[in-house]
Amino acid sequence: MASFFSNLFQWFASFFLSKTAEIAIVGLQASGKTSFVNVIGSGQVKRSFYPFDSSLQFQQWSEDVVPTVGFIFRKVRKGNVTLKIWDVAGQPKFRSMWERYCHGVDAIVFIIDSADPEKFNTARFELHQLLGQPALIGVPLLVLGNKNDLEGHVPVKDLIRDLQLDKISDRPVSCYSVCRPSRASLTMTLTLIFQCSMKSQHNLDIVLQWLAGRSH
Amino acid sequence: MSFAMAFSKKEDESGLSSYYNNKTTIIQEARVFNESPISPRKCRALLTRIVYLLYVGETFNTQEATTLFFGTTKLFQHKDSALRQAVYLAIKELATTAEDVIMVTSSIMKDMQPNSEVIYRPNSIRALCRIIDPSMAQGVERFFKAAIVDRNPSISSASLVSAYHLFPHAKDVVKRWVNEAQEAVNAKSAGYFGGQVSSGSSFFGGGSSQSAAQTVPSSSNITQYHALGLLYLIRQQDRMAVTKMIQQLGGGKSGSGTTLKNAMALCMLIRYAAKVMEEDPNVQRQMAELLEGWLRHKSDMVNFEAARVLCEMKNVTNAQLIKSIAVLQLFLSSPKPVLKFAATRTLASLALSHPTSVAVCNIDLETLITDSNRSVATYAITTLLKTGNEASVDRLIKQISGFMSEISDEFKVIIVDAIRSLCLKFPAKHASMLTFLSGVLRDEGGYDFKRAVVEAMFDMIKFIGECKEQALSHLCEFIEDCEFTKLSVRILHLLGIEGPKASHPAKYIRFIYNRVVLENAPVRAAAVSSLAKFGVNTVDPTLNKSIGVLLNRCLDDVDDEVRDRAAMYLKVFKKQALVEPYIKEDSVLSLAALEAKLVSYVKDPSASTQAFDVSTIPKISRAQAALESARPSTLDTIGVPAKAAAVAAPPPPSAAETQSAYAEQIAAVPAFASYGAVLNSSAKPAQLTESETEYQVTCVKHIFKEHVVFQFNVSNTLPDTVLEQVTMAMQTEDVGLTQDFVLPIPSLSAVSSPGIVYVSFTRDEPEDYAIGSFQCTLQFVSKELDPSTGEPEAEGYEDEYQIEEVELSAGGDYIIPSYAAFGAEWDRLKGAPSVTETFGLGSSVESLKAACESIIEVLNMEPLGGTEVPTSSSVHTLQLSGLVTGGGGKVLVRCRMTYSQGVGVTLELGVRAEKQDVCQLVVNAVGG
Ligand SMILES: Nc1nc2c(ncn2[C@@H]2O[C@H](COP(=O)(O)OP(=O)(O)OP(=O)(O)O)[C@@H](O)[C@H]2O)c(=O)[nH]1
Ligand SMILES: [Mg+2]
Repeated sequence: MASFFSNLFQWFASFFLSKTAEIAIVGLQASGKTSFVNVIGSGQVKRSFYPFDSSLQFQQWSEDVVPTVGFIFRKVRKGNVTLKIWDVAGQPKFRSMWERYCHGVDAIVFIIDSADPEKFNTARFELHQLLGQPALIGVPLLVLGNKNDLEGHVPVKDLIRDLQLDKISDRPVSCYSVCRPSRASLTMTLTLIFQCSMKSQHNLDIVLQWLAGRSH
Repeated sequence: MSFAMAFSKKEDESGLSSYYNNKTTIIQEARVFNESPISPRKCRALLTRIVYLLYVGETFNTQEATTLFFGTTKLFQHKDSALRQAVYLAIKELATTAEDVIMVTSSIMKDMQPNSEVIYRPNSIRALCRIIDPSMAQGVERFFKAAIVDRNPSISSASLVSAYHLFPHAKDVVKRWVNEAQEAVNAKSAGYFGGQVSSGSSFFGGGSSQSAAQTVPSSSNITQYHALGLLYLIRQQDRMAVTKMIQQLGGGKSGSGTTLKNAMALCMLIRYAAKVMEEDPNVQRQMAELLEGWLRHKSDMVNFEAARVLCEMKNVTNAQLIKSIAVLQLFLSSPKPVLKFAATRTLASLALSHPTSVAVCNIDLETLITDSNRSVATYAITTLLKTGNEASVDRLIKQISGFMSEISDEFKVIIVDAIRSLCLKFPAKHASMLTFLSGVLRDEGGYDFKRAVVEAMFDMIKFIGECKEQALSHLCEFIEDCEFTKLSVRILHLLGIEGPKASHPAKYIRFIYNRVVLENAPVRAAAVSSLAKFGVNTVDPTLNKSIGVLLNRCLDDVDDEVRDRAAMYLKVFKKQALVEPYIKEDSVLSLAALEAKLVSYVKDPSASTQAFDVSTIPKISRAQAALESARPSTLDTIGVPAKAAAVAAPPPPSAAETQSAYAEQIAAVPAFASYGAVLNSSAKPAQLTESETEYQVTCVKHIFKEHVVFQFNVSNTLPDTVLEQVTMAMQTEDVGLTQDFVLPIPSLSAVSSPGIVYVSFTRDEPEDYAIGSFQCTLQFVSKELDPSTGEPEAEGYEDEYQIEEVELSAGGDYIIPSYAAFGAEWDRLKGAPSVTETFGLGSSVESLKAACESIIEVLNMEPLGGTEVPTSSSVHTLQLSGLVTGGGGKVLVRCRMTYSQGVGVTLELGVRAEKQDVCQLVVNAVGG
């Protein structure tokens, strides 16, 4: 079975029907944004980017991602598709800067730690705050409920409710539940736990159509 | 920068420059940063223009800088290495003004990694120190340790330089990189890269690191220079360590064993040696030996630096100078202008103190008089002026006059200063020198230059009687057409003092009165004062009368100040008794003290029921006032730990200025709001600890009408502990004070030091001068800081620390120095309260001089008329004047003393004051 991440690529690739797409990844701190980028950045993870320390050369996935300070830009190429990714930090002091890096992107990816429901309120607030920016109207949104490998994670349909994604009407929205690959499966193909609600399936269709319509 | 220059040049020609390099256009064009796809060429050009604008002094406001900054962060998506380098340059420049620069931290760190392109790494490392939040320094520690010892010199240099800039913000972390820096300074190294550049292929062909080929590795060993800089920064507080470092790296007596290959590193080492010698005369010998070794080094730069330092050594003897002067002399005939310049400049300043030693170079200097480089010629001539004999003066002056118009103001000032000192050395040559000065006074020139000339003439007037009237005439002529108000005012003042004593005072009047007619208000006012002095001092009744007429005309002036002055002087003329205090008066109110008292008077609403009392303001002599007007600002010397204060070399602020600064500090504490104005604060903080202890405490005492407040400035020098609930326990015998409360410091770390503990007392009898000593103990809870988080640990332990006693005493706390005309004042107080007592000062006081010193110290009063220096060894009278705080009024003390072998000093202390208990205060202070 193809991994979720390869799937995701195809997902982007097929929708853009084009060579490049620029996306911004936002979300509260420690929701797993940088981990996510690291994973899609290398179909199989060779080395994780550990900004603070050069002496550690990771031959495989490392737990040691450190909080991002500001943003990290990554360019990821798969076949003839290139993803330009702005991975923006999620600590409170950086949230006001999300907007800057969402300007002009083809899609916003919002990552939420689905195993930490206590943060849902804050996440919802920040997400809607961001979407309320007039300059971002219409930019498609992909919400990923991350860390669904953890006990007690919240399923997609609850996420949709808690984040009030159903109230968003000015743009296409999709929502998935994911987790980063486990240590053991690293060298193997990445697996994906792909849960789709009816709702998100519905949204996905809209994204598909919409993105296909404005590929470049 | 060079290509930016090229731009501006091109545009100058096409007239586009102002448009092309205009801030507004640039900000508009910043759109290109957001374009997709990015055009590296356009972006680079724009970044260049931004950096260029900043370079030529343009400024961006916070918002503009932030917009540009965020624009540049978008460029991290492009891999073009030239673009990325330009991005780093721009980021470094914008980082100081833009907000949220921390945003690029992770991006920069990504570029720093070993797996990133080699070209990015040094650039990103250098940018990091400008944007990083100091609290994150710890997180990059391992990275830096590795990068500092990286084999690539660009990376090693970049990380050393970055560490250097990080140091002030993250001392403790950077300190731990000392071993790596040491390794970098010793690296036999750079041969690895340096050698490869020429022999080439193996390095470039090696394929394994393709990107390395983009940077041309440096073979200059510059890394050593950077490493040395960092090592010194880390060790500079520790003189022993610096001395050891100099010896280790210096390579033994001949200097041949040094591992330092980089000439700049050696020059730096020489400068550190100079500093060490300066601070510790004991190491002068060994350092001088090292320096002499470097006089023979193969690099000019090193030879020169060593020679210069040897020449500037404290108390250097003529014998010690021979070798260095020989080196400099060689440089004088070098074809390189830089060497000639450096050598002449050093010799010119050495000639001030050691003219005979420098004289051996006279022949070489003579040939440089006509050097096409006018700076070299200027220094050559000024040196010759100092080393030469009287006979050569005329010739040299003629030579200089020849090219005065070709040199910059700065050099003109140097020449004028040389002439000025020459005047005093060869007074017989005053005629030609005065001619020279008056000549250049007519030349074009800026304020500094004109001031130098005018001051040189002032000196001549003061010290060389023969040329006084001639010089005054030149000055009169000068003010007829002088564009500098300040200079006109000073000259008018001098005319007022010297003019009336001249043979024909009347001839100056026309020049002065012309000012009243022609000039701006400040100059007119000065002219009025000057005229008045003629009026008072002349014996000629007709002159006196015409001055009256002129002053009367000034009553119609449009300016208030001019009119007021004229009116006041006219009034004073009529009342002889007013002449002394208002026109001839030789003392003035201490302006800083006046300001401070006025401020607190205005701020205190209850004070306004009474008129402001000028008599509480101390007076200073005019000479003192002139000195004080040239002092640095006060606040930074207050409350700083002793070490830092000692480093700040400039003269300390005057007592009065310190007072006003304290008053501000006190006013900021709400608990003292009801205390009213501070009557007096200690002139300088008293040290209560040794200077090298872990906790340092100084004390300042503030006297209020009904309270006494002790201000303890406490510094914690231990970087890894924090002190909490820092208070001061004070114990004393019955001195008439009752403790009210203590204001502790909640938390005191090395970074937040110094903090202030206040202890407040009530004066039981506010009229009494409470005097006594206090035992002081610093009490606190000490907590270790967790090295990984920087947070204090939960549990601490209580500790205390005994410090020296604090004294509350007459001199300094109640009596402050104030200038007075002793004779007149002593007579005036004839009927006032007085006390006379006689003391034997005991055998410990061994001379009249020692007696004077200790009396002045104990009483803290102003010695008058030079009486602080006894002229006879057996009999002396010391005259002192002071003010007593809190309305105690004036106090005068006359100390008649005799000294005889065996008996020691016998003192008859005479005190006259406006209040009886003040007399007693003084007698007790001396006797008790
Ligand atoms: N169990 C589990 N842990 C994850 C998963 N994804 C990320 N993590 C962990 O979550 C922590 C935070 O991950 P990051 O990728 O640094 O989070 P971030 O969103 O980039 O955080 P900021 O950069 O501060 O905004 C790390 O310890 C990761 O190992 C996942 O799918 N499952
Ligand atoms: Mg992150």
